[in-house]
Amino acid sequence: MIQKIVFLFLIVTVLQSCNSVKEYEKVAINDPDMKLSARTSERYETAFQVYREAAAGANGGKSGGGCGCN
Amino acid sequence: MKIRIVVLLSLIGFVAFSQEKDTTVVFKKRVLESTEVDFLASYYNQNGSKSVVSGGIGSEKLTDIASNIVVNMPINDDATLTIDLGISAYSSASSSNINPFNSTGASGGGDDDDDDRISNNKVAAPASGPYGSPWQASSGASKSDQLTAISANYAHSSDSRDFIWNADVSFSNEYDYTSVGFGGGIATLFNEKNTELSLKANVYLDQWRPIYPTELHEYSIYGANFLNQGYFSGVTVLDQNGQSTTAYLPSAFKTIASVNRNSYSASVGFSQVVSKKLQLSIFFDVLQQQGLLSTPYHRIYFADKANYYIGQSQYINNYESASNSGVFKLADDIERLPDSRFKLPIGARLNYYINERFVLRTYYRFYSDNWDIQSHTASIELPIKLSDRFTVFPMYRYYTQTGSKYYAPYETHLSTEEFYTSDPDLATFDANQYGFGINYTDIFTGAKIWKLGLKNIDFRFNHYERSDNLKANIATIGFKFIMQ
Repeated sequence: MIQKIVFLFLIVTVLQSCNSVKEYEKVAINDPDMKLSARTSERYETAFQVYREAAAGANGGKSGGGCGCN
Repeated sequence: MKIRIVVLLSLIGFVAFSQEKDTTVVFKKRVLESTEVDFLASYYNQNGSKSVVSGGIGSEKLTDIASNIVVNMPINDDATLTIDLGISAYSSASSSNINPFNSTGASGGGDDDDDDRISNNKVAAPASGPYGSPWQASSGASKSDQLTAISANYAHSSDSRDFIWNADVSFSNEYDYTSVGFGGGIATLFNEKNTELSLKANVYLDQWRPIYPTELHEYSIYGANFLNQGYFSGVTVLDQNGQSTTAYLPSAFKTIASVNRNSYSASVGFSQVVSKKLQLSIFFDVLQQQGLLSTPYHRIYFADKANYYIGQSQYINNYESASNSGVFKLADDIERLPDSRFKLPIGARLNYYINERFVLRTYYRFYSDNWDIQSHTASIELPIKLSDRFTVFPMYRYYTQTGSKYYAPYETHLSTEEFYTSDPDLATFDANQYGFGINYTDIFTGAKIWKLGLKNIDFRFNHYERSDNLKANIATIGFKFIMQ
């Protein structure tokens, strides 16, 4: 079920992308809060989560190495 | 005359052509106009009752203070160099109990091994002999450590700004751990810069300098007669009934031969502007780790082995209670984990600009590895723009994981198993994290320190609670300056 929802979501996304947004229409997209990455100040939280949880990666940050954590 | 006219016309035509060519030069905006400097600092504390250094029981009290300076400078119109320098210092009850005892035996060791770090701060042995407790920090030097790290990243954009490549190197060092890393990546934008595809690869070549729990360290040096030599010379070992014994022999323990840990990661990212107010990204990572993946000072107590203690016998019967302030159980072994781990995380971000006051930021990650751990992470953040300069953002994060097949709680592993750990970070649990942030932005950088104009202040605080009662708090503040 989840796979179907994800697949449907991707299809909708790809279809949407056909209507590309022009640069001058990206006022909202260029808002600093809309950045598709973790905030700079979030790095320490990500670091302690890598220590305290088994999962790591897929968050745009470091995904292994550099510390005695997992 | 005709020839002169032809030559003159030719020259005029050439000059005119040249001028026309000059006017076709395309204006190219610099990737980064001026140097940016970020000062970041954080304070973290935690407490829990499943210390892995004490085999899955005991205080997990820890505080950590960290700070970073990140300088992002333009090299030319197309390239930037980012230098990130960081230091963090922690103090931990858990790691202090690598050597939990308040004093040595008769001699205090006197050897030339890495345990000197642990034993240097010891006080003189009292008449009653050494004692310790998994619920209290010992005074050993291993109660604190510092991590220093430096990384450099070079990024270069094409003239059209739709292709970027970057390379990075990193180095970090702790008392017992060193890491060297390098990597690189590419990103391409297309579909009128509404779509971005990126690839990234990194290698970390890390090395442990193992520190073992004191009793195992002494056993590794002196063998079966270690209770009569070195650190434990003259110390009384107690059995479960509180009687003096010489039967303690951690024969399962062997020192670690290979101390390298290599990590190889590859990441594919896809991001898409879906509409004027909606964009999303998907990350897919593949991570392979090889080498020493266990931690050398994590104790293990086997259920099928007898128990032995050092300290005051009256505390043996309530060893697992925080009221135990005087006895520490001697380890059977350290944790043993496979020398290979394959991790597959896939994550997605979806941000929606609701209106001029609200933005919705969401994140989800599914994680799976070949140690049988699966996890889900979901977070949501709602930035609220109070004014042109101030934004507050409440946030919530939920995390859940299934435990590793190699995990078992305190004193439940059997000595016949090949791999074992009592690390609660590898157990089944879920966690809730909630907090808030405040952001101040002045695009005109009105406030100045020397040549640095203050552009941004970011403060955030989060409380973290795990279902196994580990609790943590973290506060972070960041200042962004623009060089003027």
